[in-house]
Amino acid sequence: MTTRQILLALALAILFAAIGYNSGRFWAYLIYAVAIAGIGALSLNLLIGFCGQITFAQGALIGVGAYSAAIAGNAGWGGFSLLVAGVVTALVSLLIGLPALRLRGLYFAISTLAAQFILVYFFKILQPLTNGVSGLVVKPLTLFGRPVANDQEYVVICIAILFLSWLFLARITRTDMGRAFLVVRESELVARGMGIDVSRAKAQAFLLSGFFAGICGALFAFTSRLANPEAFEIALSVDQTAMIIVGGLGSLTGSIVGAAFVTLLPEAIERLGEFLPVAGLVSAFREMAFGLLIILFLLLEPRGLVAFVRRLAARRGGKANALAARAPAKTSNRAVTAQDGR
Amino acid sequence: MKKLVLGAAIAATLAAAPARADITVCTWGTITGPDALVNGMTYGTADYLKYLNESKGGIAGEKIKVLMLDGRYKLDEELKIYRRCADQEQAVVINGWSTGAAKALRDQIQQDAIPFISESFASEVLDPAKYPYTFIAGPTYEQQMIIALRDLAAKGGKNVVLMYSDNEYGRGPVNVVRQSGVIEKLGLKLVDLVEYRYDAQDVTAQMLRIKAKNPDMIYVQGSTPQLIVALRDAAKAGLSAKLFVGNMYNISPAIPQQLGAAAEGFRAIQTYAFYGDDFPAMKEIEEYAKKNEVEKKDIYFVKGWLKGKVIAAAIENAIKKAGGKVPTDIKAFRKAVRDEMESLKNFDTGGVTPPFTYADHQGSVQARIAEIKGGKYTPVGNWINAH
Repeated sequence: MTTRQILLALALAILFAAIGYNSGRFWAYLIYAVAIAGIGALSLNLLIGFCGQITFAQGALIGVGAYSAAIAGNAGWGGFSLLVAGVVTALVSLLIGLPALRLRGLYFAISTLAAQFILVYFFKILQPLTNGVSGLVVKPLTLFGRPVANDQEYVVICIAILFLSWLFLARITRTDMGRAFLVVRESELVARGMGIDVSRAKAQAFLLSGFFAGICGALFAFTSRLANPEAFEIALSVDQTAMIIVGGLGSLTGSIVGAAFVTLLPEAIERLGEFLPVAGLVSAFREMAFGLLIILFLLLEPRGLVAFVRRLAARRGGKANALAARAPAKTSNRAVTAQDGR
Repeated sequence: MKKLVLGAAIAATLAAAPARADITVCTWGTITGPDALVNGMTYGTADYLKYLNESKGGIAGEKIKVLMLDGRYKLDEELKIYRRCADQEQAVVINGWSTGAAKALRDQIQQDAIPFISESFASEVLDPAKYPYTFIAGPTYEQQMIIALRDLAAKGGKNVVLMYSDNEYGRGPVNVVRQSGVIEKLGLKLVDLVEYRYDAQDVTAQMLRIKAKNPDMIYVQGSTPQLIVALRDAAKAGLSAKLFVGNMYNISPAIPQQLGAAAEGFRAIQTYAFYGDDFPAMKEIEEYAKKNEVEKKDIYFVKGWLKGKVIAAAIENAIKKAGGKVPTDIKAFRKAVRDEMESLKNFDTGGVTPPFTYADHQGSVQARIAEIKGGKYTPVGNWINAH
């Protein structure tokens, strides 16, 4: 990651924060919804795309973050509640990751699926903490003793956190720890042979991923003002997975692009439906859109939108490495590179 | 970089120029989603306002811009739609959908000062002093349950079972009724509480347990698909459908259609007139249907039609008070409409419900019991007041 890339990302963050801050609430909402989803997708991509640990518990982990932040925030912890959410969720994520020390692949994925349902069940039954099925009404986030009461201010906060998350994770992927994740993803046997402590690497991935999932949940709770179990069902895990597949497995930038795509697609289809005289039909199509998209991406561009755009750019620029970028997609359905951590 | 700046400029321009209309009413529901079975409530409101546009040229000579959107019963989607309606569309009235969204937005609605009619019947969103801009359109779930309990007490019944789904919609009202002590006050006895999964596909075990309690009434706080499962398994366990009573969301043709004889005798709380019956508002619907397709021909559509009438009456009165012109200041317009909505007295609903006063923000709190007879819901008593 070059200084130029960081500056470009910073410029984009400032640009979108400025647009959101100066626009109406609807646009502000769309921008921060993408930013929040982007933080969640970054966290999931770290675990699946970089470390190869397939999980279906992301929705519930975001829920843990939301409830933790709601409880801390309602107790008057202000901005610290974001940190609380991150830490609590990181610990829960580590707990969910424990079976990964013994299980691999599909078997581990099934154990995370169980964790997803168990956590949502806890949200429903831990009445004194979560207010059960009624959900917990969340007070506005207070920063520096002042409540954040409007969507425009949330845009700035969410984009700032997204940028910092992206920057932090991009740095992590360049460290020994990040490289260990990649080796573990490719082959645990090889990783052991190289002297990598596989269990430790996995635990680190779960902790880091959980922390950012918690931050995502906290922002979700503060912006929606309600943490209720229905919002963190398996559908949220599916949405998050769709984001990283569409954006690009093993690509941090792709996570954000995928989050934007998946978050904005329903709105785009809705507007198209209003424009055309077949609103009902288009609305129903929206439900199928994610499924179709995932199938299309898996078939045609398993490395996601980011790789697709890079390939196009390489072609346009007549760069010699265009064919090299294309070759892995044709030969394998797996994203085998970390797409340079970008 | 130039393209980036240009894109940002276009986005900023679009963001700064929201679409405006003199009278915009926004309504969202589950057009596609888990409870789409009752989305006639959304279609009905939109269709009444379209009917006004067609038959009377709108309100006070101004056409109404009607927006009907799909919330998909997803909290994030509903929150997004609310912002679009409030900010981008500058709606004067918003008609929302789920209890979750109404709760999440309840403070926001008061801050924005937008008249908001919630489709939810949860008492948690109803508090005219605390939430002066939030209205509902009928008796709460608790009040519907109380109406059924009163009917049982009047008929000399004693033992009651409350059966409910494991979500807020199920648990919330049951808890409120239990804690209110109304069951004991009516001289009834709660012999069992049965909770089941919202998406349960088999409740035979629960039915066998209920049968052992020998109840006089089993009140089900659930949606129509759950009721179908419950009545099917009740028949298996030897419990008659006559013992079961559901709320207003269980008046669905799907129940007799799918269960046939097993549904005979099932009762539900009827809070609005049936689609197709003889009442003045139905004449309007028939007139509208001559030129337009009515998407949902059921009681929920009738409820939606009534909400449309309430919204239109409030807007019309607000415009009258403003000298016959649509106020240009949207904030003042919204406040005026809220005030007029609250001021509706002995409002003529066109026979959809008995006339009501909207000062309590919930309108009619009367209901009657409807029973499935010969595969059709038939009213079997007079209107009962929940108060």
